[in-house]
Amino acid sequence: MLKELTKKLCGLSGLAVAAGIGLALVAVPQAEAKVRVAYGDIASVENLHLLAAFELAKQRGVDIEMTYLKSEDIAAQAVVSGQADIGVGGPYALMQKVKVPVRIFLQLSTLRFYPAVNAEFYKTWKDLNGQEIAVHSRGSGTEAIMKLMEEKQGIKFSKISYIPGSEVRTGALLQGNVKATIVDSAGRRLLQEKAPGKFIILPLDGINATDEALFARQDFLDKNPGDVDVIVESVITTWREVTKNPAIVAEWRTKYKLLPDLPADQVAEITPYFTELAKGKAFPLNGGGEAAAKDDFAFYTLSGQLQGEPASLKVEDFWALEPLNRALGKVGTN
Amino acid sequence: MSFPVQANGSSRAVPTSEASFFWRKLSEHRTALWRLASIGLFFLVWEIAGRIPISFAFPTFLETLRAFVTMTLDGSFVAAYAETLQPLVIGIAISAVIGIGLGIVMGLSRFAEWLVAPVFIVLQAAPMAALIPLITFVYGIGLLSKTLAVIMLALPVIVLNGYKAVRNANPSLVAMCYSFQGNLWQRITKIIIPDASPVIFAGLRLGLAAGFIGVILAELLITPTGIGDLITYHRSVANYAEMYAAVVSIILVSTLTLAALEAFELRVLRPEKRKS
Repeated sequence: MLKELTKKLCGLSGLAVAAGIGLALVAVPQAEAKVRVAYGDIASVENLHLLAAFELAKQRGVDIEMTYLKSEDIAAQAVVSGQADIGVGGPYALMQKVKVPVRIFLQLSTLRFYPAVNAEFYKTWKDLNGQEIAVHSRGSGTEAIMKLMEEKQGIKFSKISYIPGSEVRTGALLQGNVKATIVDSAGRRLLQEKAPGKFIILPLDGINATDEALFARQDFLDKNPGDVDVIVESVITTWREVTKNPAIVAEWRTKYKLLPDLPADQVAEITPYFTELAKGKAFPLNGGGEAAAKDDFAFYTLSGQLQGEPASLKVEDFWALEPLNRALGKVGTN
Repeated sequence: MSFPVQANGSSRAVPTSEASFFWRKLSEHRTALWRLASIGLFFLVWEIAGRIPISFAFPTFLETLRAFVTMTLDGSFVAAYAETLQPLVIGIAISAVIGIGLGIVMGLSRFAEWLVAPVFIVLQAAPMAALIPLITFVYGIGLLSKTLAVIMLALPVIVLNGYKAVRNANPSLVAMCYSFQGNLWQRITKIIIPDASPVIFAGLRLGLAAGFIGVILAELLITPTGIGDLITYHRSVANYAEMYAAVVSIILVSTLTLAALEAFELRVLRPEKRKS
């Protein structure tokens, strides 16, 4: 009786496996027609303009499927293993160490972070000499920025502690658990709203490294130049429009029905957020390219993401410039 | 051509007694050898899988071993474990004291059992990885949160084992205590707890195993420190061999700790099990 049951179960599971494989085989050709984009974070106000750019690309006939993953690492892994076609992030370390040719082909944003200190204790960079600061994580962009400033200002922090999440660091700053840290633009606005005058944003200049970029495997770029060109052109034209008129992002949201479940207070945040970024020239109007790559080499060798001398790194080992050059030839440089 | 064969044969023939001695020794340690072979086979499969490679982020066994040795020698493991063991040791100590205490009380009193047992049965069944982010909302991101994560995983196992051990203390021993006119205190300290101690100790061992899971979850989900920091950092800069070495090290440490505890348990608390 029991034997019979196990036999039946085995048979059933075998059938299920066969059906699964069959389904997977059927599903493959359909999946190929789509461009699968892996994003290492949840969809939020911060990437509304990217979603709008993809809507534009969709209108021009490129079928894009977004997948939201837990972290940038995982998005990069998905691209390396071929489970996604295009990733969003800045995987310089991965490109240097993994033997698969993965290349960045478009810069989406540069690092926009603001060193914030409690005005009760510190006023300038020099005051941070011998003090403890908090950054996102070891080897992160925020750590590299703070190390760069340490070098530039000739100071030395006593300890760098790691608190992942800008909103967590902002909260810690507001509660007084942390006296000096580095936050993103949303955090900066929150600090100014909740406690005007209580915190000082320290000046930061000469930092122009990639925060997010689009990257893909070289073989994908070679096989799908049409789709890639449409995406690059869509992003560049969208970025230019947002810089000209930041309020348009909110209009796109209603037009394309992007993030329909966004709570009202966050909807109100959209225009101020993009206005500030546009004012700060945060949207690369020409998609980065060689100059951006050089800036990144200098910055990411310092942060420990990249190994070796910045001058010895080759742009073509990290960037595929052809799609960008083709797109700029079409839409012109700005 | 035949000469070397003969020479070979004769050289083999001379030390017969030595060879048989060798085989006897070998068969004495047969279990240990099979275990070694199993581990060796696993490493071989790993090496092959890394060389194919099954994924571009999957290092070979030898690369991982090299990273492991380097990280051991340069002190990164020592520094990492100094940090990781803090919440683990504090959490396990607290869980042991509270867990055994509660377990004994619940085993002795039906009222306490009804009051407390459901909480721990639910906690044991709950997916803890989903609850750990909630701790950070209340207790922030420091040592307290990580210690709590360890306690949340370790405590239910220790409490439930302790309670079952006390509840199922040998009734004839308890009856014997009655007939010798032992009072309640003597019954608990001289009969029930000694009788229950092997199972209570087994609960502690399982609690420690759960505590290892708790501390690693906390270090990966709350803030990266210690061994969790090694894993996340090396992943973020694509040093996959180092990342795997860190993962292997935590498996090794927890396996060795648990094996040592089990050996201690067999030697001290359960001599009858050792004989069999």
